[in-house]
Amino acid sequence: MMRPVAVISTSGLTMQFGSQRALDSLDVEVPHGVTGLVGANGAGKTTLMSIALGLRPHTSGTISVLGLDPHRDGAQLRSLVGYGPERNVLPEDMPASDFVKHLAEVRGMPRSEAKGRASDALWLVGLGEERFRALGTMSTGQRQRVKLAQAIAADPRLVLLDEPTDGLDPVQRDEMLTLIKQISAEYEIDVMLSSHLLEEVERVCDHIVALDAGTLVAQGPLEELVGDTEVIVVDLVEIDDRPDSVTSVESRLVRAGLHVDRRDSELRVTGSDRTATLDLIRDAVAAEEARLRRVQVGRRTLEDLFTAVES
Amino acid sequence: MTAAEIFDRGYRKFDGDRGGSLSAIRSVNWYTTKSILGLGRKARHKVFPVIVALVAFLPAIIFLGMAILIGDLLEGELRPEYWELFGFSFMAFLVFTTMVAPEAIVRDRRDGMLPLYLSTPLTKVTYLLSKAAAVVSTMMIIVLGPSLLALVGFTVQGMGPDGFGTWIETLAKLVLAALTIVIVLGSVALGAASLTDRRAFASVAVVMVLLGLAFFVDVMVSGVEAPDTLRLLDPLNLPFEVAPRLFSDRTPPYQDVSTSLVLLGNLGWVVGGVGTLAASYRKLGAV
Repeated sequence: MMRPVAVISTSGLTMQFGSQRALDSLDVEVPHGVTGLVGANGAGKTTLMSIALGLRPHTSGTISVLGLDPHRDGAQLRSLVGYGPERNVLPEDMPASDFVKHLAEVRGMPRSEAKGRASDALWLVGLGEERFRALGTMSTGQRQRVKLAQAIAADPRLVLLDEPTDGLDPVQRDEMLTLIKQISAEYEIDVMLSSHLLEEVERVCDHIVALDAGTLVAQGPLEELVGDTEVIVVDLVEIDDRPDSVTSVESRLVRAGLHVDRRDSELRVTGSDRTATLDLIRDAVAAEEARLRRVQVGRRTLEDLFTAVES
Repeated sequence: MTAAEIFDRGYRKFDGDRGGSLSAIRSVNWYTTKSILGLGRKARHKVFPVIVALVAFLPAIIFLGMAILIGDLLEGELRPEYWELFGFSFMAFLVFTTMVAPEAIVRDRRDGMLPLYLSTPLTKVTYLLSKAAAVVSTMMIIVLGPSLLALVGFTVQGMGPDGFGTWIETLAKLVLAALTIVIVLGSVALGAASLTDRRAFASVAVVMVLLGLAFFVDVMVSGVEAPDTLRLLDPLNLPFEVAPRLFSDRTPPYQDVSTSLVLLGNLGWVVGGVGTLAASYRKLGAV
């Protein structure tokens, strides 16, 4: 079977729950690789995932996943898709190997094959030695890995992961993100992960689909969205006898034609030319007699993109 | 000398044929059956099904033992009809029913298995079908097992039905009677259990519906002298009335209730139970 150009493709996809519009005319193209589905809670990420799995009929528009219509060919599609739910509840008294094997069988693996594949998937996620332990005795990090193992055990073409790093500490999060990157790169499994943590999405995803209140905010390759655009972080000190100094600097910079995103006493300034922007910042700070704590040149992040779109 | 080698295959692509919905149904059915019977689980999960099975089979074992010990003396009043064995194990069936349905469906909702199952080739309908099939097959062991044991045991003792044709007919009637009991009790229990996500509450709900209605109907008919047809509202005893009807008999409480009404009443309980189950799962979010 030929690989379709887009893993997920929607056109005018709309989902209406009573008077509430959960998805509003989405035109999305998810290519091969790792795609981050980002947005705040209630943005429509889970609704899009459940429509993509064929679990919910959409109100209007079209959607195609791996070249199939999820509503019409749901069962066939779901045998090719792995899913890792957000909820961190698993059967307490079941050994990890039995859990993964059982779900591999339900996803269509022959019984003779499922046991070996469950074992291989658990080794891949780093739980080879722990595979006979009951799920109830495992840590949050290990349970997240088990969820990843069950999603990939049946050799899916696409894996949908809902908040896969939820509840993990920074080290575990690093390891999980590395694993996700690895299964996509080494085994050609396309991944779409939903997250509200933009920093982790930036680290692992090749492509971004950003939603806000059911509408598409942005989509495209990560490097195109964040690009090489620089953001200059200007960290000012709040002064008691000049309470408006930060606001005054911000106003001067905006008047000079720069884009400024203020977060408390920190200004994130975007301009087309680094030297000119730095000069303007220096002049504004001097003119307003503001006190400077730090100036740092950095790359634009997804968070900056979101803030820019919202403002 | 043959050189042994540990060969680590590692994670790899799969090129074989994948099973579809049928394979998924079979797998969930087998997993649920094992879970209900405590197979592959800790010993404490096996205790309850084993005790219930012992209690259910005890009357049949006692009568068989008597047949072996006193032979022909058992014939006559002392020897029960095959269908009467369903009544002797009545309490075991009731207790097993209160455990089976919550174990089959409530556990998945509590353990987070339901969203995982629905992300596979299963749909809500095929998922519930596989669960219902597991409930029916495990309950059949407890409900049909004792009368089947009695039929085979009495036959071996030379006290079975006369002729092969009669034997097969008796067997078919016993299977049909057991299926009716299992399907009616199973539907009502699944419907009641689907109303809650807590296993203990689900068991209480099943007991309340089965015992509560049986008690209410008995008080109304025996105490207030309501018409016998009110017994159609008793989901616990009504399915057991099908067995004597199949053997051209009827029990005293249902003496004045026609067979067609008994069948219609049972059908009504199946529709009610399945309808409640379907409505509960329709409301549940998939992912």
